[in-house]
Amino acid sequence: MLTSVYEQNKRTLITSAVLLLAIAFAYSDLRLTIYGALMPMFEWFETTPFGYVGKTWGAAFATVQAVHLVGLGVLGGAVIAADGRLLGLLLSDVPAKTVVDRSHRVFVWALIALLATGIFMACGVAMKIYYLPVYWYKMLALGAGMLFHFYIRKPLLAHDIDTLNPVVVKLVAIASILVWFMVAATGRWIGFSG
Amino acid sequence: MNDSDKPMTDPIKDRKDDETAALLVAQAFIIFSGIYWFLQLESVRELLELAYG
Repeated sequence: MLTSVYEQNKRTLITSAVLLLAIAFAYSDLRLTIYGALMPMFEWFETTPFGYVGKTWGAAFATVQAVHLVGLGVLGGAVIAADGRLLGLLLSDVPAKTVVDRSHRVFVWALIALLATGIFMACGVAMKIYYLPVYWYKMLALGAGMLFHFYIRKPLLAHDIDTLNPVVVKLVAIASILVWFMVAATGRWIGFSG
Repeated sequence: MNDSDKPMTDPIKDRKDDETAALLVAQAFIIFSGIYWFLQLESVRELLELAYG
């Protein structure tokens, strides 16, 4: 009986558990303990070859940052195209499934570029970002955005979109735009901090 | 094995599960974003008020 309830509501139950754990983590002392424990890792980041290059060779950092920003732009474009279509605001003459699937491919490549260049950039300014609260908000948004995209949004849109509840589809599109907007905005905020 | 022995193969139940999970997360994101950006805007407004009266 319980197994059957779990099997039928697996994704909902796992999602609820993750949300509750995230809220509990945000209000617990464990957050501060982990924050303190991460400091040696950030100090080590600065001593890696990426850290040395990032700190001492401004042109390399600027070039990688340019790729990072282009990646962010492409990812933003993929999100706006797919979610704009789900909201019925653009590309309405193309089937939603086509727009969503093609945008997903672009999204994945842009995300890979963002993560690769982001790791390099983080090594160059590791201790600066360690003390920036906005950096941790960005990581929270990035982690939540990736989980949302691959664990919630993609399986949902794998169904026939016309059979889905339109309110849910629109809320998912709005949430997706908001979470990636937060990643972009907090990312630029890091650039303007310190 | 009859159909009731394999509930996860039911596409309607799968879809409902995916929809409920999506609704839950979408609401959480929208509420969190609303609160976060409201507080950020409030802090900027207070800062401007301190600076310029």
